Amino acid sequence: METSDKKPSPAAAPESRFTVSPMTLAADRWMGRLIRFGGVGVVLAVFGMLAFLIFQVFPLFTGAKVTAVGSLTVPANAVAFGEDEYGDFPYVVLADGKVVFQQASDGKKAHEWSPALGALKVTAVRSYPRAGLIFLGLSDGSVQELRVAYRSTFDAAGKRAIEPVVTALPPVAIGKSGVPCQEVWNAKGPQSRLMLVRQEVAGKPLLTAVRLTERKGLGGKARVTVSAPFVVAADAASVEQVLLPSTAESLIVVGKSGEVRTYADDGETFSFLQAFVPFKDAKDPAVASAGMIFGNVSVVFVGRTGEQQVWSMYPQLQPDGKSLRRWGKIHDGETLAGAGEGVYAAEGNKCYLAVAGGKLQLRNMTTGSLRWEGDAPAGSIRQLAFAGNYDRFTALSADGKLHRWSIVDHHPESSWGAFFGKIWYEGATGPAYTWQSSAGSDEFEAKYSLVPLFYGTVKGTFYALLFALPIALTAAIYVSQFLRPEYRQVVKPVMEVMASLPSVVLGFLAGLWLAPLVDPRLISLFCAIGILAPAALFAGFLWSVLPQPVRRQVKPGMEFLWLLPFLALCAYLAWQAGPAVEAAFFTVKDTASGLPVADFREWWRQTTGATYDSRNSLVVGFVMGFAVIPIVFTIAEDALSNVPNSLVSGSLALGASRWQTVWSVVVPTAISGIVSGVMIGFGRAIGETMIVVMATGNTAVMESNPFSGMRTLSANIAVELPEAAAGHTHYRALFLGACCLFLLTFVINTLAEVLRQRLRERYKVV
Amino acid sequence: MANPSDSSTPRGEAFVWFTGLGLIVGLGMVIGLLSLVILNGVTVFWAPQVPVAQVDDGRTIIGQLAQRRIRAGSPADHPRYELQYQVGLRELNGNSYLWVDEAKIKGETFPADVLGLERVENGPAFVRPQSLRQSDGKVIPATDAGFEAAFQAEVAAAAAVREKLIEITRHRIGDVNGEMDKARIALRRAEDLKLTEEIAALRKQIAGLEERFAALQAEAKKVTEGGAVASLVSKDAANREVVVPLTQVIRGWFPNRLDTWGRVKLFGSRLAEFVFDEPREANTEGGLMPAIFGTLVMTVFMSLLVTPFGVITAIYLREYAQQGAVLRIVRISVNNLAGVPSIVFGVFGLGFFVYVLGGSIDQLFFADQLKYNNNTPVFGTGGLLWCSLTLALMTLPVVIVATEEALAAVPRGMREASLATGASKWQTIRDILLPASAPGILTGVILAMARGAGEVAPLMLVGVVKLAPTLPFDGSAPFLHMDRKFMHLGFHVYDLGFQSPDSDAARPMVFATTLLLIFLVVCLNLGAIWIRNRLRARFKGASF
Repeated sequence: METSDKKPSPAAAPESRFTVSPMTLAADRWMGRLIRFGGVGVVLAVFGMLAFLIFQVFPLFTGAKVTAVGSLTVPANAVAFGEDEYGDFPYVVLADGKVVFQQASDGKKAHEWSPALGALKVTAVRSYPRAGLIFLGLSDGSVQELRVAYRSTFDAAGKRAIEPVVTALPPVAIGKSGVPCQEVWNAKGPQSRLMLVRQEVAGKPLLTAVRLTERKGLGGKARVTVSAPFVVAADAASVEQVLLPSTAESLIVVGKSGEVRTYADDGETFSFLQAFVPFKDAKDPAVASAGMIFGNVSVVFVGRTGEQQVWSMYPQLQPDGKSLRRWGKIHDGETLAGAGEGVYAAEGNKCYLAVAGGKLQLRNMTTGSLRWEGDAPAGSIRQLAFAGNYDRFTALSADGKLHRWSIVDHHPESSWGAFFGKIWYEGATGPAYTWQSSAGSDEFEAKYSLVPLFYGTVKGTFYALLFALPIALTAAIYVSQFLRPEYRQVVKPVMEVMASLPSVVLGFLAGLWLAPLVDPRLISLFCAIGILAPAALFAGFLWSVLPQPVRRQVKPGMEFLWLLPFLALCAYLAWQAGPAVEAAFFTVKDTASGLPVADFREWWRQTTGATYDSRNSLVVGFVMGFAVIPIVFTIAEDALSNVPNSLVSGSLALGASRWQTVWSVVVPTAISGIVSGVMIGFGRAIGETMIVVMATGNTAVMESNPFSGMRTLSANIAVELPEAAAGHTHYRALFLGACCLFLLTFVINTLAEVLRQRLRERYKVV
Repeated sequence: MANPSDSSTPRGEAFVWFTGLGLIVGLGMVIGLLSLVILNGVTVFWAPQVPVAQVDDGRTIIGQLAQRRIRAGSPADHPRYELQYQVGLRELNGNSYLWVDEAKIKGETFPADVLGLERVENGPAFVRPQSLRQSDGKVIPATDAGFEAAFQAEVAAAAAVREKLIEITRHRIGDVNGEMDKARIALRRAEDLKLTEEIAALRKQIAGLEERFAALQAEAKKVTEGGAVASLVSKDAANREVVVPLTQVIRGWFPNRLDTWGRVKLFGSRLAEFVFDEPREANTEGGLMPAIFGTLVMTVFMSLLVTPFGVITAIYLREYAQQGAVLRIVRISVNNLAGVPSIVFGVFGLGFFVYVLGGSIDQLFFADQLKYNNNTPVFGTGGLLWCSLTLALMTLPVVIVATEEALAAVPRGMREASLATGASKWQTIRDILLPASAPGILTGVILAMARGAGEVAPLMLVGVVKLAPTLPFDGSAPFLHMDRKFMHLGFHVYDLGFQSPDSDAARPMVFATTLLLIFLVVCLNLGAIWIRNRLRARFKGASF
């Protein structure tokens, strides 16, 4: 296209009647600017769209941002810590049970509380920062519970001040009397609270527990009943580390030799469940550190040389054929820089912080992705805890420092692996591609694998093309090469009308009209469709053996009018024969009456073991044909009819029949145009939304079974995006799906366009 | 083929016939689908005869035949059928529809006294009337010759009462409620900012509004009581007595007594209700006016947005931009946007228009509204404006491509002649190129409208709802409410077909809506095709 920029030059026309009026020039200039601005703006906006989609997806693939906020100097004999909800007012518990509160802002000591224990000594301390609970293990084997609360007061000037309050509860005798506690734990089960102490008696470890049941009395005052102490895990030879889940439903004891013994709460005491050695193949099987992940069904073990393993409870087939929930290894993590010094779980998600070889690593248990890595503080870490909303964590180190970090990590569960890889989720029996974005419970872990959606997309597209391509391409050949031109004037608009049918209408008819209709007559339908191709070929053959005077009755380009009644008759007969075919080949025994009945659906279920849905891929494929056929037809027909006439005339002049000309000259010349049409049809089928939403069950399964449904990328977006909260991982995962769709169709269409341009070049040469 | 003059057939004729198959199947699919929709859509409004059927378990059924299908679980080689009757009277029967085994129906009669009723609540009813109690207290037995005329007169009177009631409850009380909401938001703001004078004024205003509200309610009550006198006493199929107040009756007809003209009139009246009235009974009955209106407003607004931008871009690409490799890439990219799935545009619309643009607008201009109205977003949620913008973006390539093609089709001679006479570039574009390519541009715009009108997937994300309480266009300033959510024909089909609690009751309505939507879209497309063909004919002769 030629652009003429030849403006009439005013200088060349000195006479005023040849001078262009300034208004005209100004209008020309301004409109030129406006059009350039508008045009460039629209083009940029179009590219901006892709940029925006990518921009929305980008945060999914960035790691966590962790910043050290600073550290407070605390007394050197601090052994545990805790803090308020906002982290403004941390406290440390000293080895002698003293609780010291400090201002986070300036480190000033604000409050101090000392236990009144008389002759008893504090021998063990455990602090649960999020619950504000401190447990002091005492030298006589009993445990004292401290509760920390913050009271806000307003002084005379109306300034808010926070005053910490520590309440000490009477000590509870748990362990063997007179033997000092070495460690103490506490967990709240559904009915009762469990307190556990560890002592050493005659060089052997002893774990004793009590249950505390709280009942509201008549006066509203809680009355606590303490059960008789009971020994747990008595069969453990050594106790290196004890993991008590926050729900107290099980107990995990890690021994010195690396043997892990698990126990389950049986209502009375804890019964032995299972023993295993995570690093049994390693040179040193000892477990250096272990930590329970949020959700209480998975444990991360780190070995002496930094190897990581994740073990979890999931249903496993037992030798007796029953499926029981047992511990099993679900992940082999990346090897850390050195021996594990601690594993600390985050609250609310599956992340954990592993300390090894002087490094802190924030990792996601499920995907194994490294969210962040940083230097560990100088002193060894005594305690580390995450805030409840996963926005910071605090660590107490042995050199008397309280270190604080802030976390910005909006999408801890996302990574390339999470979207495209096979992942072994907690509770599953093996690694799988799963899309499951929501469920009722809080501890539910959303699963965002796009693979089943891609699979569904490809499956739907495959069946659509399987059905649409033969029809569209043969129709294009017939219409462009054989049909009389006056009919072509009618056929093309009809095909365009087909292209314009709203997909919601097609989806509605597929789901609510077609699916229930063909369901009982499936075999009839197969027969009717299957008979068409042989019948058409047979009709052609029949015609070609007829004597010439009869053949003259059929004018070239009118064959389809003769074919129509014949095909209609064949299809009708085949439809009627359907039940007989079904009775002959697809008979099953009726479970109720024991009589054989002809039922293809039941036959399919019994023979293949696969499912049969009435809204299945075949229905989707058929109806998507309405959307794909006209597109492929139009482009292929264009390509075929644009083949230069000289080629056709040449071929015919050399004595080739019209079919030989078409097959050996026209189709090969136009092949790139035809392929481009197929590709554009493919692009249309990939992105089709409403038909799939309405005509399938929308379950994200990966089955090649043609009689089951699927969930495609586009349907997934349409179904879930209205409910997704803006900015969340789910929302961005759906954007990622949209991005994939965009790129996929864009690339396919561009390739098709390039092919078509190449075709045009070829015509030019001819 | 040694001798070309012999009578043997040319090679490959069978394959020629075979390719004809594709054409037949393709055409069959289009024609079959259109006739299916037309048949099912039109019969929705047609009143057939209503049988009184005797079932061999002793039941009697009065109902309109709705469907016939193969019984589930019946063997394929000996299918048994079952019939679905629409029996109505949902309050008594629990369900409006009933499946009966075809083999169990002993006999059907078509008594002339069967009366069909369309009601405001609980769906239709098929009964045998006994007597009519008129508004003046007189009772006419159904056997009386003047019964039908009196009944229809009472139905018309009741319709007038209902109309009046709607005027009061929906429009006048609705206006009061709207003002009240505004005043309450203003009051909350005033209280927050401690504007004493304003608080007093607003309290007074709210008190006034409350008074008006009470007065209107009293008026509505009076109207209701005034109209609640007339009622129809009848018997249902099980011989139970059914009393229907006539204010509940929208339409009554004797399906077995009507002549063809009567049926045509009934058809017309139902069609008019469908097009001009508002939906009832969770969208399964009544009309589609809000959906039709919403679709039209959205489509028109979309074309107002897409036309200038599309045309300007096409002119830029064809007349101003430097032709070269870059432009070729740009052109291919813009064209390929037409192939990007519509749902992707919806995702973009939600992410960018609604959350980013809408959110910013709310922050800038409606901060007060947000603060004092429980953070209810104004533009930061789906709405008409965002739907129009999203679809405009989606259909932009259609208009750009059509305009570019039309500009390219303008003979070079016309352009050169214009420039040679001293016209400036803009003058050439304005006076020569645009008029000559106007039909082409129009074709593109119509195609864009057709695509926009039929699209649902992106709209589900950016602002279409199943039931909008208000139209996007009404009498209160600023008249056109671009922030409102609206109803759409395509979404209506989706929602009725797949989200409706009573899918049987929704089925006729879905077919009717489908027919309307297809009619709209096909008309737009045929219009575009017609214009294009005229355009081709015009330029055939104009080759310089």
